[in-house]
Amino acid sequence: MLLCSVSELSTVLVVDDSALMHRVYEVMLRDRPMLHAHDGDEALRLIDQRSDIGLVLLDINMPTVSGFEVLDRLRAAGRVPGLAVIVITTEGRDEEAARGVAAGAAAYLTKPFRSEQIRETIARIEARSAS
Amino acid sequence: MSDIGDPTPKTPAPLDPLLRLGGEDLVRHLRETLDRAAHLAGALSDALSRISPQQPQESEPAFQERLRAAEADSHDLASRLVESENQLGRLMNLYVATYQLHAVPDPAQVRATIADIAVNLLGAQQFVLLLRRDEAPGCEVALREGWKDPAEQPLYAEDTYTGGDPQVDETLLDGTLKLGPFHNSPALAVVPLKFQQEVLGVLVLLNLFPHRPPLRADDRELLDLLSAHAASALLAARLFAAKDRRLKTLESLIRLARPE
Repeated sequence: MLLCSVSELSTVLVVDDSALMHRVYEVMLRDRPMLHAHDGDEALRLIDQRSDIGLVLLDINMPTVSGFEVLDRLRAAGRVPGLAVIVITTEGRDEEAARGVAAGAAAYLTKPFRSEQIRETIARIEARSAS
Repeated sequence: MSDIGDPTPKTPAPLDPLLRLGGEDLVRHLRETLDRAAHLAGALSDALSRISPQQPQESEPAFQERLRAAEADSHDLASRLVESENQLGRLMNLYVATYQLHAVPDPAQVRATIADIAVNLLGAQQFVLLLRRDEAPGCEVALREGWKDPAEQPLYAEDTYTGGDPQVDETLLDGTLKLGPFHNSPALAVVPLKFQQEVLGVLVLLNLFPHRPPLRADDRELLDLLSAHAASALLAARLFAAKDRRLKTLESLIRLARPE
């Protein structure tokens, strides 16, 4: 069951080691408040510190702490599914997506994606959260 | 009936005038266009819902004609909306790629950005970046991504590429972007990194991620941009690094020459 509470006003936390992808999200979701983390540790620190974060765009393929490790730690800390996490992967493998969803992710996307895909995914999560 | 604007089908605006706008303005302009298209589609949908086939007085040939015209408008608007969305997505990618390529004047960062664009925007699973050596024949294999076993791509197993793929060799000579598949090369695309008439190197796309559709004409815009901007960004970064080294040398000499 989805328990997350996310709305258009929630801050989006982008977790990706690619500077290019941070810029991509800034442009695609330019009307939303946004925070940036460049690795898993920084992401976990920000999530602990900031209560306004409602949505996390989490890249799976990151050095040192992978996206799955971040998700596992969030689940262990009881932060998901309260916090909506969208897992972003380049591989597009079904097992990766299934692993992400099993670990508490609200949705997954494969790169490269178009802006309407991410906007629709977020809208679906917000609609579920509101209902 | 609601105002649904001029129903005359229009072809989407050409990209060139839009590309002359600044990045932020461009995205704003396209957003506004999409909002207008969505508004028109909504108005048309309202109008159609009010024209119910159950209304007996409206079931005349004129009504049928109007209904067909309205449905045609609706389809036209829907396809224009989709095309605008696609165009917006492509322009966003072009804007972000250009911005990031020129963000840091450091050769290693520019290479990393080229790799980022290949993976994240083009969906390349395997690719190699070849850069011409200044004072030696062949090209430096500056980046290779997507495979561990050298036997999988033997042409790019060493630090130097000395030729062997006809499409790559030809691109290094003529500086023309080539889109595969090719009968004589494993490459899917060979992108020259070209500044003015000089080919600094090539990006060879060897494989795409399985979920990624094959390269299409749409992808050519991003590949063309990569061809021009990656080369100029690399060249600028190299010049900046060389100037920085010279500056540091001069500063050291000045420190040595100064009396204590």
